[in-house]
Amino acid sequence: MGRYASLVWKNAIRNRRRTLLTITSLGFSLCLLGLMMAIYYALYLSDTPPAQALRLATRNKVSITLPMPGYYLQRIEKTPGVREAMPWQWFQGVYKDERDPNNFFARFGVDAKKLFLIQSEIRLPEEQKQAFIADRRGCIIGKKVSEKHGLRVGDRLTIKGDIYPMDLELNIHGVYDSTMGSDTLFFHWDYVKENRSLPKEYTDVYSSISILVETPESVPTVIAAIDDQFRSSSVQTRTETERAFALGFLNMMGNIKAILLSVCAAVTFTILLVSANTMAMSVRERVREVGILKTLGFKPGAILGIVLCESMLIAALGAVVGYGLATVLCGMIRQGPAFSSEIANLSIQPFVMVAMLLSALAIALLSAFVPAWTASRVPILDALRHSD
Amino acid sequence: MAIPLTYNLRNLAVRKGTTLMTALGIGLTVAVMLTTMALVAGLQGVFSETGNPLHVLVMRKGSTSELVSTVTRPLFQEVKMKAGIAKSKSGDPLASLEMIEMVNLPSVDNPDGSNITIRGLLPAGLEMRDYIRLQSGRWFQPGKPELVIGKSVAARFPDAQIGRKIRLARNDWEVVGVMDAANTAANSEMFADLNQLAAESNRTEALSSILIRAVDPVAVAALVQNLESDRKLNVFAQTEAAYYESQSSSGALFEYLGMFVAAIMAVGSAFAAMNTMYAAVARRAKEIGTLRVLGFSRTAILTSFLVESLALAFAGGLLGILLVLPLNGVTTGITGNTFSEVAFHFRVTPPIMLKGILFALVLGAVGGLFPAGNAARKEILAALREA
Amino acid sequence: MSEAIITTKGLTREYVRDQFKVMALHNASLDVTKGEFVALMGPSGSGKSTLLYLIAAMDRPTGGEIRVLGQDLRALSGNAIASWRNAHVGFVFQSFNLIPVLTALENVELPLKLTSLKKKERLEHAETALKLVGLGDRLHHFPKQLSGGQEQRVAIARALVTDPDIILADEPTGNLDANSANEVLSLLHRLNQEYGKTIVMVTHDPHAARFATKIRFLDKGELLSEGTKPADWMSPS
Repeated sequence: MGRYASLVWKNAIRNRRRTLLTITSLGFSLCLLGLMMAIYYALYLSDTPPAQALRLATRNKVSITLPMPGYYLQRIEKTPGVREAMPWQWFQGVYKDERDPNNFFARFGVDAKKLFLIQSEIRLPEEQKQAFIADRRGCIIGKKVSEKHGLRVGDRLTIKGDIYPMDLELNIHGVYDSTMGSDTLFFHWDYVKENRSLPKEYTDVYSSISILVETPESVPTVIAAIDDQFRSSSVQTRTETERAFALGFLNMMGNIKAILLSVCAAVTFTILLVSANTMAMSVRERVREVGILKTLGFKPGAILGIVLCESMLIAALGAVVGYGLATVLCGMIRQGPAFSSEIANLSIQPFVMVAMLLSALAIALLSAFVPAWTASRVPILDALRHSD
Repeated sequence: MAIPLTYNLRNLAVRKGTTLMTALGIGLTVAVMLTTMALVAGLQGVFSETGNPLHVLVMRKGSTSELVSTVTRPLFQEVKMKAGIAKSKSGDPLASLEMIEMVNLPSVDNPDGSNITIRGLLPAGLEMRDYIRLQSGRWFQPGKPELVIGKSVAARFPDAQIGRKIRLARNDWEVVGVMDAANTAANSEMFADLNQLAAESNRTEALSSILIRAVDPVAVAALVQNLESDRKLNVFAQTEAAYYESQSSSGALFEYLGMFVAAIMAVGSAFAAMNTMYAAVARRAKEIGTLRVLGFSRTAILTSFLVESLALAFAGGLLGILLVLPLNGVTTGITGNTFSEVAFHFRVTPPIMLKGILFALVLGAVGGLFPAGNAARKEILAALREA
Repeated sequence: MSEAIITTKGLTREYVRDQFKVMALHNASLDVTKGEFVALMGPSGSGKSTLLYLIAAMDRPTGGEIRVLGQDLRALSGNAIASWRNAHVGFVFQSFNLIPVLTALENVELPLKLTSLKKKERLEHAETALKLVGLGDRLHHFPKQLSGGQEQRVAIARALVTDPDIILADEPTGNLDANSANEVLSLLHRLNQEYGKTIVMVTHDPHAARFATKIRFLDKGELLSEGTKPADWMSPS
């Protein structure tokens, strides 16, 4: 087919405006397809980073919004296979004014020393880390929080309690960055615990417990061991890998998988229509030339091949444009709120790139087949007499 | 003098393959947008119909939802004594102390489990929600672990059926009835006796919210004002309607996502329409020349091709509406700000359909403008000579 | 010199158009020997083009026999016909039929892409053919940039670049002014005389027919016997 390459190229750029419009049109649709595939890949197909593979999360079996008793932490720490366990407590609270959703970011009470052992992705200068650990009224904030609210090391901020009937007066000791997202504030849970005026239902409960296991192989046994020991307690637990835990959060918003797939289906069908339309128009204009080629001795198979290649060429160019646009959109999504670390690090992986290209080519073949087949079968004399 | 519309319609009919493909492309884009709008409209419908404007919802100051609010029994006693609260049949103030709990059950959409709100309430609470009818079974009895479930819960959660038991914190609770709460959020909730539920979750003193009914609309504002300004109470009061209005932001994520997808698809289908219209102009170059010779002006040519593009887009808009119409009335659930599922129907309303048509026409105008301009600019002789 | 290159016996082509049978060619028996330049003449609808298309295997007969270069054309499959035509027949159209997006050189190179020649050889052959038709200085022009006569000479170069045994021409001067027509006809004449190409040309122009070595007339689908003209044939010159 190599010797027909120039013919394919010349045909593709014959009507430059149409080809450009088609490529742009396909590019926009394919960018959407690529983006959906990238999200799907990140959530369901990509490998778990090694540090994350060692982490589990335990929560109240009924709902993440319901607490677990405080003594569960000691029980979990003693479970064989568990290296470290650290409680997370959702404080919520209000920064400045609750009416403006822009003022919202996550605030978690944690055990500062264990935080850095378990969440090894959190990076910040050692002196900031030590300053935070040393000050019970200290906190660290993510880079995104720092940028969005203009908060810097040395600043003080107040979080008014809403679930908790107390306000937090916090000193910012560090600004961290993390591949797991950087839109959270971490403070010492001890700060709340020390407040003797609060009843135990407030202080001696946890919303989730983060667990570091010894080896990746021990994950299933540790999960079973933890959940089994609370099976007959009044509060049962659900332990899962950190990734499944995060996915569970996303799925609360809706059936993400079904949404991604239905958008993909709608977009694919649109691309199919655009591509089929272009190829039909392109072939219809050239029926006479197909007659000429046949007179010169070109076989139906060669004609079929030339038209299919043209369609694939246009689709492949569309995929390149789509890849570019999708990369830009991924960058924008990374800047937005992170629903999960997968979304916070979203990019078009090589696997997705190849999948985009292959879908584009498959759609091109499918959409061009009917016009190409018709062109290759039209009798020479009919083709030569054709006027359009 | 204008070129008759039938000329355009016949031309569209002659190129029926291209016309259909382009229109379907526009139709799919419109369908994505309309699906999003139908979802948001359905969700807003539930929330806007839930709140009674005479009801005032009292939560702890700073709370954004009942889930994070705590109120105590002494507080309830004080709120109940405020002036302007309507009286029940038995002569007591119409005020209900309520608590929110949660249970996680597999739903038809989410086998991994969705949360359902369980609302513990006093008899006054039921009396205030006079739009609720018992559909089957009976009401729960005070002091017993019994649940009455909303009809959406019954439809969407296989485990929630009359006669079945649902495990809460310590005990098994029996489902004894199904309620029809018109088109309100209560359809997605389970109701139980307040004190029984509070004991179950060991929260006998820390309850969630207070619902009161004002005697008339004037009293509503006064009550809100009175409660909010009472520093000792430290509560946040708003009308029930305002509260549910604020809850409808649950659909915002879907709205953004849907509009984003529709916008990108719109660029794709506008370009496709442009392609089709350029091809139509190129094919009919001779005709354009002839029309000009016959005395039609450039403006008439421009208008004619623009109208043809709009007609094509209109067909696309209709196709889009046809595609989403079967969604009308389909029930789905969304997890709202309260972390529990709210069921609602997709609503493809006439205003939404109209928006779909307008959106399609915008795509048609964008796609048709340049080709129509191209057609109008052609010189008569050059056009006649073109193949 | 008497080697028969084209032989038809009782060749017939019927069409069905709007449920009516149309007899485009009836019982035509023609022999063309190597080195002949035959002009097929006759009024519109006489069947002269149909006969030409049958010889080029661009159309299939509904009856009779046809052998070209010893090959029974009816026995060839679609793909085999394509290869056969590429190897043995060069075709020249009335409306030139060049590919507008290709240059003169690329148009001429096109049929060579079906051979095993390397790109360099293909371009050399194409250039030689264009020089032969007197367009050595127009290699990289697009069809739009050439005059009608030049376009038709490119088409002739395309027809002879594969060095075919037979050149078939369908009204090659039909779209040309008198001067260009003469250029094209002289060229065909030269190809016949100097290069020994067998040529069959359809024309209704008696002036064009004068360049041929033999003229055969057709009328109402019948091939008239040698030396016969249709009764009402008006010779314009």
